[in-house]
Amino acid sequence: MKTTLIATTAALLATGAMADVNIGNPMGMTGPIPDLVAPMAEAVDLAAKNINDQGGMFADGQTLNVIRADSACDPAAAIDAVTKLINVNGVSAIVGPVCSGAAIAQAESVSIPAGVLTVSVSASSPAITTMEDGTDLVFRTTASDAYQGVALAELAMANGFTDIAVSYANDDYNAAISEVFVQAYEGMGGTITANEAHEPNKASYRSEVATLGSTSENLALFSYYGSGGITLMRNALETGAFTNFIGADGMLSDELIEQIGAENLSTATFTTAASDSSTPSYAAWKAIADGAGVPASDPFVPNSYDAMFMMALAIESAGSDGREGLSEHLRAISSAPGEVIYPGQWAEAKAILAAGGDINYEGGAGNQDFDENGDVAGNFSKSVIVDGAWAAELIQ
Amino acid sequence: MWDAFGFEFVNFYLIPGLVLGCIYALGAIGITLTFGILRFANFAHGEIMMSGAYLTWTVMAIAGYAGMTLHPLVAMVPAALLVILLFLGTDKFFYKPFRNADTIKVVMASFGMMLIIRSAVQVIWGPNQLTFVRGIAKPNSVLSDLSNDIGLMLIIPNKHLFIFTGTIIIVIALSYLLNRTRIGKAMRAVSDSPDLAHVTGIDVDKVIRATWIVGGICATAAGVFLVMDVQMLETTMGFRMLLPMFAAAILGGIGKPYGAVFGGLVIGLAEELSAYPWIGDAPLLSPGYKTGVAFAIMVVMLIVRPQGLFKGRSF
Amino acid sequence: MEAYVGYFLYFLSLLTVGGIYAIFALGLNVNWGFAGLFNVGIVGFAAVGAYTYALLTTASSTYHMGGFGLPLPLGMFAGMMASAVIAGLIGLICIRLRADYLAIATIGIAEIIKLILKNESAVTNGPRGINKIPRAWEHFSEERFYSSWPMSWFGTPERWDAFFDHLPHWYWQPLFAGTVLLVMYVIYRMLERARTSPWGRMMTAIRENESAARAAGKNVTRRRIEAFVIGAAIMGLAGAFFAQHLRLIEPTNTFDPAKVTFLVWVMLIVGGSGNNRGAMLGAFLIWTIWSASELVITGSIDLISNIFSSIDTSLLVSRAGFLRMMLIGILMQVILQRYPGGILPEVRPASPKAYQKIAGTTGETK
Repeated sequence: MKTTLIATTAALLATGAMADVNIGNPMGMTGPIPDLVAPMAEAVDLAAKNINDQGGMFADGQTLNVIRADSACDPAAAIDAVTKLINVNGVSAIVGPVCSGAAIAQAESVSIPAGVLTVSVSASSPAITTMEDGTDLVFRTTASDAYQGVALAELAMANGFTDIAVSYANDDYNAAISEVFVQAYEGMGGTITANEAHEPNKASYRSEVATLGSTSENLALFSYYGSGGITLMRNALETGAFTNFIGADGMLSDELIEQIGAENLSTATFTTAASDSSTPSYAAWKAIADGAGVPASDPFVPNSYDAMFMMALAIESAGSDGREGLSEHLRAISSAPGEVIYPGQWAEAKAILAAGGDINYEGGAGNQDFDENGDVAGNFSKSVIVDGAWAAELIQ
Repeated sequence: MWDAFGFEFVNFYLIPGLVLGCIYALGAIGITLTFGILRFANFAHGEIMMSGAYLTWTVMAIAGYAGMTLHPLVAMVPAALLVILLFLGTDKFFYKPFRNADTIKVVMASFGMMLIIRSAVQVIWGPNQLTFVRGIAKPNSVLSDLSNDIGLMLIIPNKHLFIFTGTIIIVIALSYLLNRTRIGKAMRAVSDSPDLAHVTGIDVDKVIRATWIVGGICATAAGVFLVMDVQMLETTMGFRMLLPMFAAAILGGIGKPYGAVFGGLVIGLAEELSAYPWIGDAPLLSPGYKTGVAFAIMVVMLIVRPQGLFKGRSF
Repeated sequence: MEAYVGYFLYFLSLLTVGGIYAIFALGLNVNWGFAGLFNVGIVGFAAVGAYTYALLTTASSTYHMGGFGLPLPLGMFAGMMASAVIAGLIGLICIRLRADYLAIATIGIAEIIKLILKNESAVTNGPRGINKIPRAWEHFSEERFYSSWPMSWFGTPERWDAFFDHLPHWYWQPLFAGTVLLVMYVIYRMLERARTSPWGRMMTAIRENESAARAAGKNVTRRRIEAFVIGAAIMGLAGAFFAQHLRLIEPTNTFDPAKVTFLVWVMLIVGGSGNNRGAMLGAFLIWTIWSASELVITGSIDLISNIFSSIDTSLLVSRAGFLRMMLIGILMQVILQRYPGGILPEVRPASPKAYQKIAGTTGETK
């Protein structure tokens, strides 16, 4: 029984590998933030669909095959998943994972030794910037927390908050960005009146809220909305402990409006690695996303689309789906010089590349120009409630 | 002396602690009965609680399709029936074969059930969160006006009042069951001494079924109250609640339902009050360690006084 | 050709991770199979071993304490010792507890250990974890190792750099897998000798009938603590290897009881509790099933979506991971009921007296 299964699998995988371009997509489908990851996965699929609908890969129209695996936001699972993607499925490159811990682990353990290019969709730990030692194989379409923390601190000062209390969820993303924020804020002359971690996924944060609330009117909240962020805000609003709220990506979601109610969120401002919504690239992205029913501005969703689209462009530019040398092509298609390409413009891009031209992809989540470390600079927007929905405004 | 101190303490620490305590108490009742009568630690209890909450949500969703809005407490009733069936089913297929074998086997089986039930819920309902009711819960106006007149200020939203009342009703019902009905007395007999109970002709199987039924009702209630309080339903709820509930059962004494209630309240209060700035400005215990409070209490109890405060079984 | 290298590397990874889990299972067998201790805190000891190793062998860093860059074997040994010490402390307090109480206590303590590792960020970098953990054999190709003693004796950094450039990128994988398997084998031999020794027989006696053993004058508590500590030390070593495999450890998701603790218990029960060979067999078998099942499930979903192209399979894919867990749980229940001894049931060591029976007196052979 087991041998038949293995044989069938091998056959399935083998047929898959031959006529298609395979890209591995480890995402945290199970694990602590599945609700955050689901729309991101949809965005990746949307990118592949756009590409396949508009002529596929290379001159013979090969199908772009997204092979999804579950990295569960867990280093061990990510390593296992990527090992299989690289060795068994023979993928050309990796788009993912979602969590910084999983991304760093799989890169250091599997993909860098194997020489495979990785573009993470949302890993924002500052540690990734200095992770590599001479190789150029790890990129990301999300700005490092090092930038967003600073942007948030500037926002706080600009809003006139001279003192602020900080509460961060004790996981890798939120702890990292809160630390950057605290340093930047104090460096700008602000006072941090309290700085406490809170465990994610708890039933009640009333005591945390009460302890912090007595120190300041303002709260900097770093949490995932689904893992306790909503609960904490709810507790804070119910008890009237804070007047003003600021926070980062993890909190920015329509779910927050749905569960708490727009009328209660009038004093909340959240930043996110944005999407300058005034740009044509964002407009293009939004059109595509709305058409497919994908939430266009949920955290990291446009970044996921961009990552997959750019990876496909890089492979198309390289002319074959081999693993070597993809990094140069990735850099080439993402920055000037070149014709500007927006989300969804696969057919145009393909034509330009086929004719030997240069392109410069501008994505839904920003211009996605990689620096020497494979990072992108941040465009950040702050979002406030306007007419019952989040309205983003770019921070310059 | 109802100044800022009292107001904050009562409304932000004491009352939430009591709410959490009620939830732990209800869960712990089921655990202590299982422990006492069936003699094993049921690791799947937390997941059963969670399934009860999910089933309640489904009942509300179905009713919603039909155009009715049911209050969670009403939807809880059919859900509780389903949970009882679930309990009886798992007992028949997974626990009964080990009734006369090593305790270890049945605990391992319950451990396995924990994962099976959690995964099944994740497969059926998906990992996203769901909710019973939207919006934030404003304080009950009647109560806050009333208390204002006396010079206090109580901020208690309706949902908490429901939880308190519900718990009290269940505990009273339980006490009636255990003290006034035949089956209740039989349960206590089996809990104290199974062999003697068997000798006097008590039908142990019936008692076991009764245990699952009572446990199922309490577990569903605990799950629904938890979701009413947090207004969020997600699949990791069960395991998170499990260890504090074990702690509560051990604290109160295994096999003593009142001990479980008491233990639950103590653990709930301890968790919330541990973050209070008793001394100076900073919280006594860093909030990151709040979840550790229940574990620590439990470990201390196991070492110092394993039979619990109310002198339950100690083995 | 590249596909075959790929399959070979995947096979190596199955051996490596299976081997690490086998070491865990051997440690658990000392606790459970030898001494009947229901230790459900495996994850805690693994974390202690992993973090000790990481803190000692990584380069110094602003994010966390330690980073002494000590030699790897020293780091692994220290991981074992740290785990043993913690187990000793826990054992002194908890060893008298009855089976399910011990289970609850060990789970609770494992969670407390994880909370401490998570909250003491100054020491451990908290939830962000420690990365760039050196991996045996691969670490030779890292600059900080070949630029310093002892490798610098054998050549300049440039020559080493060129040397490693020539090797295939996966050169270290067979070596690492070999190391893990070698360590596993050594531990297996040692445990086999322990099992057939007087100490092992005494453990069996204590496990089977504690009061009789006590009546015979055995210091039951002390033996139990010994078994607990030895098992925990082995788990700590496995934790150190785990850290090397992952190269990044963090306290929340890596050490998830559902994945590590439960999986090791399933391995032991399926393979055969009380039997060292069973422990290893169970580990390789369950890990292969666990890892390969993802491929099978994804392949089947692909097949289904190819056949019925109208069905949207994205829902299935996102729930597939949960399905895996459910199936493993059901597998364990089935094994528990049908084959309680596991695939390789326990083999009692023959009593020495059996060898002394003089053939012919009673017509019996041993």
